[in-house]
Amino acid sequence: MTPPTPGCNPAVGGAKELRPFRPPRLSILAAYAVLSIYAGLILSTLWFLDLGPLQSVARSERTWFAVRLSLGAATVAACLALVCALPAAYALSRHRFAGRSWVDAVLELPMVVSPAALGAMLLMFFSQPIGQWVQEHAVRFVFTVAGVVLAQFVTVLGVAVRLVKTAFDEVPTELETVARTLGAGPRHVFWTVTLPLARRGVLAAFVVAWAKAVGEFGATIMLAGTMALRTETLPIAIYLRLSTADLGGTAALILMLLCLGLGALAVTRQLLGRATHA
Amino acid sequence: MKRTCARLWLWCAWRWAGNALALGLLCAQGVAQPALQVFAGAASKPALEELAQRYRELSGTEVELVLGGSGTVLTQMRLARRGDIYLPGSSDSMLRAVREGLVLPETERQVAWVVPALTVPRDNPAGIRYLRDLLRPGLRVLLANPETVCLGAYAVEILEHAFSPDEIATLRQNIVNYADSCERTAAIVALRQADVTLGWHVFERWYPDRLTTIRLPPEQVLRAGYVSGAVSRFARDRAAAERFLEFLCGPQGRATFARYGYFESPEAALRWLGAPRPVGGEYRVPPKWLSP
Repeated sequence: MTPPTPGCNPAVGGAKELRPFRPPRLSILAAYAVLSIYAGLILSTLWFLDLGPLQSVARSERTWFAVRLSLGAATVAACLALVCALPAAYALSRHRFAGRSWVDAVLELPMVVSPAALGAMLLMFFSQPIGQWVQEHAVRFVFTVAGVVLAQFVTVLGVAVRLVKTAFDEVPTELETVARTLGAGPRHVFWTVTLPLARRGVLAAFVVAWAKAVGEFGATIMLAGTMALRTETLPIAIYLRLSTADLGGTAALILMLLCLGLGALAVTRQLLGRATHA
Repeated sequence: MKRTCARLWLWCAWRWAGNALALGLLCAQGVAQPALQVFAGAASKPALEELAQRYRELSGTEVELVLGGSGTVLTQMRLARRGDIYLPGSSDSMLRAVREGLVLPETERQVAWVVPALTVPRDNPAGIRYLRDLLRPGLRVLLANPETVCLGAYAVEILEHAFSPDEIATLRQNIVNYADSCERTAAIVALRQADVTLGWHVFERWYPDRLTTIRLPPEQVLRAGYVSGAVSRFARDRAAAERFLEFLCGPQGRATFARYGYFESPEAALRWLGAPRPVGGEYRVPPKWLSP
């Protein structure tokens, strides 16, 4: 039997079983390495999981409050971030204006400054006269659910603007120009040409912002405190369990956060796929 | 000829590198001591950093500090299965470490002492003078989380002892939230995001321009707290770890902690308090305090 020529297309020869062995490409190996790192972390967490703590965590009203608060606050924060990100990112993508480079640079702030530092900055802001006025006359943020939303919003806003800007950058300006020459106003062009073409990137920005907000911890604990059934989010609940050296409970809560976060992301990805292929 | 010269140079360089490496290893063996790893509550950070530096100068032993919440660093020590000394900021964390077999109980040494007191912003804008003032409607009261922070548990003990159930219900309406550590409790009041907290007397020393301590009458304070250290179960060199603990409890250690506002002895703490009281111990927080 003649061995198949390396590099030939097996479909052409019609001999599938004789397909030569090809070592996996380096890039595929790298992808598996990424998977194995995170899979390893999840498996190590499962090592500490016991049925007792898992049941007690799953039945606890406190846990479900933390779940509702985390998901609800993250959704509101991500929506608010997107509402602010759309016009800001469009301006950064399409216009040249005074201070543009400053605005562009400050988007990295939440990535450069740690979330805990961002939380401390928020707390300091609310202890200044302007912040005190906001607290007394508008919304009370410190130690409230509004504080949880604000902490998450501030943490994800920069990322949201950056990702939406990238989505707008990828839309060819020629298409907008053509629409303008056909008599469409700038607002009409934005809603009918730019945004529909950038929708995939915009939705991806929302998903990333939401996921980052669900896992937010440092700024939230600073601004909103740790009281159970009031401002305790799932990441804070995990931290408190860890502080009491309750490894079983910690592992159960981490698993819950993982399931909720990855589950929600998978559903969103499905919906996104449908939306973009519709 | 060129090739021979090159070989000679290579040989010389090789020998020189080998000699330098051998000399380096010899020096390292003679001078460096294995580092001690201390898992400590972050509240003791300023005093501990100073003492670690001093100990390095005196003995040549490096002291690595792993700082964080007392409960968190205990979990870190347990999971990492390393660390020579555990030095929490409160007695309940040490009791937990003893119960879980993570430290050698016979090596435990008390290092510094603290007493619960009311802590308010420097100019005391809410005009707090007594514990009963905490019942005033609209007051913003902050507590350390009684579930995870020893100070929070002691605060609940004081409140439960001082007030009737109806008064407790009134007071709990004033509690704005729980902070996750002693340091954060002090910082939040310093930033005026609460009118008062039940803190340690030493908070005032952490923020001298921003906080004031109001002493409670002795009948309202049920116990004093302390910072203690013990050799970890994972210690590589028990004798070296005990030597550092000895240094912390010695005249230099006590004086340094005193400079940061801690009491040098339980007697000094109780003298400040004005009544004999138990030092340390655990208080079981009633479940109603764990949520609003």
